[in-house]
Amino acid sequence: MLPISAVCGGIYRAAIRTLGTRNVPLCRRLSSGDGVLAGLADADTIFALSSGHGRCGVAVVRISGPAATTALRCMVGLRKHLPPPRTALLRSITDPHSKEVLDRGLVLWFPAPHSFTGEDSVEFHIHGGPAVITAVLQALGSVPGMRPAEAGEFTRRAFHAGKLDLTEVEGLGDLIHAETEAQRRQALRQMSGDLGRLYQDWSHRLKRCLAHVEAFIDFSEDELIEDGVLDRVDISVCDLQAEINQHLKDERRGERLRSGVHVVIAGATNAGKSSLLNTLCQRPAAIVSPIAGTTRDVVETALDIGGFPVLLSDTAGLRDSPDLVEQEGVRRARERVQQADLTLVVVDSTILPSEVKQAGAVLLKHLESVLTSQEQPEAGRCLLVLNKTDLLPEAQREQLSLGLRGTSGLPPVCLISCQTSEGLKDFLTVLQSTVQTMCADPLSGAPTLTQARHRAHLQQCAAALAQYWRYRDSDLALAAEGVRLALTGLGRITGRVGAEEILDIIFKDFCIGK
Amino acid sequence: MSRMLTRKLLPVRNILPPVTKRTSHVHRQRYDVIVVGGGHAGTEAAAAAARVGAETLLVTQKTHTIGALSCNPSLGGVGKGHLVREIDALDGLCGRAGDWAGIHFSILNRRKGPAVWGPRAQLDRQRYREFIQAELLSTPRLEVLEGSVEELLVTDPNPEEPGRHRVTGIRLANGSRSISASSVVLTTGTFLSGSLFVGHTVSPGGRIGDAPSSSGLSQTLRERLGLRVGRLRTGTPPRVLKDSVDLSLAKLHPPDSHPTPFSFMNTRTRCKPEEQLPCYLTYTTPGVERVVRESLHLNCHIQQDAKGPRYCPSIESRVLRFPGRRHQVWLEPEGMTSDLLYPQGLSMTMPPDVQLRLIREIPAMHRAEIHTPGYGVQYDYVCPTQLSPALQVKNTQGLFLAGQINGTTGYEEAAAQGLWAGVNAARWARSLPPAVLSRTESYIGVLIDDLVSRGVNEPYRMFTSRAEFRTSLRPDNADLRLTLKGSLLGCVSSARRDEFLRVKLRLQDAEAALRALTLSPAGWRKMMPGISVSESKNGSLSGMDLLQYKDVSFEMLASLFPEQLSPHMEFSERLKIEAVYKPHCDLSKREVERIQKEENMSLPQDLDYFSLPVSLSKEVREILDRFRPSTLGAATRLEGMTPAAVVNLLNYVQIAERKERMMNRSNAGHQEGRGDDLCARNASLPQ
Repeated sequence: MLPISAVCGGIYRAAIRTLGTRNVPLCRRLSSGDGVLAGLADADTIFALSSGHGRCGVAVVRISGPAATTALRCMVGLRKHLPPPRTALLRSITDPHSKEVLDRGLVLWFPAPHSFTGEDSVEFHIHGGPAVITAVLQALGSVPGMRPAEAGEFTRRAFHAGKLDLTEVEGLGDLIHAETEAQRRQALRQMSGDLGRLYQDWSHRLKRCLAHVEAFIDFSEDELIEDGVLDRVDISVCDLQAEINQHLKDERRGERLRSGVHVVIAGATNAGKSSLLNTLCQRPAAIVSPIAGTTRDVVETALDIGGFPVLLSDTAGLRDSPDLVEQEGVRRARERVQQADLTLVVVDSTILPSEVKQAGAVLLKHLESVLTSQEQPEAGRCLLVLNKTDLLPEAQREQLSLGLRGTSGLPPVCLISCQTSEGLKDFLTVLQSTVQTMCADPLSGAPTLTQARHRAHLQQCAAALAQYWRYRDSDLALAAEGVRLALTGLGRITGRVGAEEILDIIFKDFCIGK
Repeated sequence: MSRMLTRKLLPVRNILPPVTKRTSHVHRQRYDVIVVGGGHAGTEAAAAAARVGAETLLVTQKTHTIGALSCNPSLGGVGKGHLVREIDALDGLCGRAGDWAGIHFSILNRRKGPAVWGPRAQLDRQRYREFIQAELLSTPRLEVLEGSVEELLVTDPNPEEPGRHRVTGIRLANGSRSISASSVVLTTGTFLSGSLFVGHTVSPGGRIGDAPSSSGLSQTLRERLGLRVGRLRTGTPPRVLKDSVDLSLAKLHPPDSHPTPFSFMNTRTRCKPEEQLPCYLTYTTPGVERVVRESLHLNCHIQQDAKGPRYCPSIESRVLRFPGRRHQVWLEPEGMTSDLLYPQGLSMTMPPDVQLRLIREIPAMHRAEIHTPGYGVQYDYVCPTQLSPALQVKNTQGLFLAGQINGTTGYEEAAAQGLWAGVNAARWARSLPPAVLSRTESYIGVLIDDLVSRGVNEPYRMFTSRAEFRTSLRPDNADLRLTLKGSLLGCVSSARRDEFLRVKLRLQDAEAALRALTLSPAGWRKMMPGISVSESKNGSLSGMDLLQYKDVSFEMLASLFPEQLSPHMEFSERLKIEAVYKPHCDLSKREVERIQKEENMSLPQDLDYFSLPVSLSKEVREILDRFRPSTLGAATRLEGMTPAAVVNLLNYVQIAERKERMMNRSNAGHQEGRGDDLCARNASLPQ
């Protein structure tokens, strides 16, 4: 029998990794967290933004692990003496390499075991602007032995150290679920852009490299593997290495990811989605007409809801259409829904059956078709907006508003009329509190964290490719190991690559007999 | 010690153990283990069960085909050679049989790094069979019976454990005689509902020249036990008369000048270096492709090739999938005195006259004569996800399956499963908990884990790329990885254990000697001027560090420090490999430990995942219910599992274990030991 703590670390890591297995739909693979390299070490020191996102005065960056003191020494100029434990100090926080001052803030030092994780821990309380946070996180990532934390990792370490009680342990699964989901959505946003295509392309090329080295190892003695297979791998690895290193050097490149809670308006055609967008941003940002299918592309607006940044997107109405442009619009709408932190499902209330139970059933079915995610809608990730209530008889309106509240499986329901603004105030209150809850979660809408993670994985990838060259001529098994590790590193961004996938490429590219 | 010597010298003295047993009738009414089938899986299973201490009966259709090589006359290769070394480290037969029967030895991938070296040999069919039969017939506790099994005897499912049958024995075809046993290992190869294909002709059977097996077995598995079966295909090339082949038109491929034995127990092979026979390499021509295309309408086997494997088992699929290329054909000797050649790469199923036309399109065979035509086989396999990591059928206690019946292809894959099924069948019979090999410690573990947790949809063959810890699972260290474990299980002879302990101690001494040699980088540079020694962190480097350098060999170090190192020359190669690989193995150690821990956390087989009171999505519940992973480790590797689901399952397992511990504590007063189920749940090897 193993002590719980001994087992859990591994399980957790495996748990993260399984997210990236083959055949899992792409959207669920993207946040594949871990693999062999990070599996190397609990000895790793992790860091993350621990405070909420959005308009905040102070941001808290937490660091936990053996190198936490290194961060203190090289980033706040405490070379000789560590500060007294658990005492706030006001210091300048500098980049360890350029020595540039990044911010001035409070520094706290929690020596093990008296910290949340039971490990040596440091907290930086810095100014809440995104530029400052990004700079500090990037600086931390450049300290040897440090990497961005995976989902739930601080809690997991606390669990490891016996700092959590049983009820908290039971919540660990939910926590990891929530955090991996948040990472997934964030990664998905990033991956659908140019950067995502770049990473996918690297992953694809690296997979081919590995498949060809593996084919050469496993089959070249029996089968006819054309000459020059390895030469082509050499060229590919060389190019990849150069491209990744260049990418890592050029920090300004890469796309600017928009911050904020991503709220997507979705639903059937003519439900009044664009009207809702216009109502919310108080200007006619989207064209509104009684013609179904007016909105064909995604219309995006940045909003401030109760002081929190929100990126609001209006999407094409979901329906099967023979029109190619509209089909593309619907595809984009579905993509947006998958990446959304919060989906506002707008329904034309006049089409609902007047009987409440039936209406509930219709809405449940409708939700399923809009959200299309295999899992049930997470609590707090979806609001149901019944529009056009001005066209309903008073009695039915009341029945709906009371009756639907008790229907299980339904998210919060708001009855509004974009035409008359009826119910809008209540809806805004619900929306604001939902957004507020989301902003308390440091992971939602924080592209800097995703970028820091990607950077760390790319660095691992580049380092592993160097191993290919070190052994290229003396030991192909060890050279291949370098490519494997590189792919594992990159796989933590683009999705894990299994042995079967490599075999697929081998059998497609080479004729392998029995 | 004397036994060890005789074993060691055996191949050189050209003596096989005397055969003392008769095979026409059985001596007992009841056995611990009955093994059905005398192929590579069956022979290893029977021998392993007997070694572990079980009274064992091997039932086979014909005694004289025990140990027959039905297809290629060779053993080992890349990946497969790894398996042979591991089987040998567990005292299995095939490594030693290979050393006895080999007539052409070579290490494949010699220039690609020791982790992927592939020990391989061409075999003399006759000698291989001889060795296996002599070994089996002289193994204590093992009896061999010639006969055909009509039916597998199983109990009705236990009402308290729904779906749980128990095997009780077998019934033979002649005279309906029953023999009872605690465990039965089925290794029926391609005989389970097998059909043979040549051209348009289809006939029942699993191998040409052998009677088809009875349909009773297949029926029991499918209908009585409700096991899911699938269908796979394989094939074999025609055998060609050596004299009719113009070998001067093929490229000579000589063996290694110094044959390397497969077995850790052998220092030489029976075949002397200079007696070895060569192979020949030749290529297909456009004419071959033409003949395949012209005869497609006559080729029943290929026509059914709707959803074939990803690789190309037959010449037909090769030229169809990769047209316009030339393909390699190896001409391999079939034995020391055989007048046949085996054209590896020309497996085909067209009518015999077309086969002749096809091979004659190859220049070296333009006048060749066919001795036996090639043919295809289609057969049933049992979807291996229905097995536990001990290769026991999950819903039938005491029933084990090994070899092609589990969807694999290849002698080595079959032998590996056979050995492990044999060990576990014996353990079951003796009420011991199952033994499991991890994928972190062996290719056998990779093989079994892939089979039982992922299943197959094409014949499964071992490749080194399947092993994620390839740098530690090397052919050179199979003994260090497995022999001690085998010894604890009782499946390793005392001679092998003694030899292993000697080797292990000597290796340790040698490593200690190397570590004790420390010099500054400058000191090393002075002693070895040709080597660009880099600086080190703590200022000094040991002999072990130096050995990591590409251009430094153990011999070089030994010539510099003869006093300290010359006693260890026996292990020069192993030490060099260990020095180079150790840093890489250390890197993956943490990951290895993690997987091992998870593999030790068992999930009960009768869990009702749909009602399990933990937070799991419907999708995850369905996946778990379909695959019924045996351990948490296997569960994490399932496609579609989410991290949260794994953590929740972990919580469940821990709570269940805590309850179980408490229950045991309260029961300890009035109950001795624990039930088999509880043992099985905590499946782990004796430490």
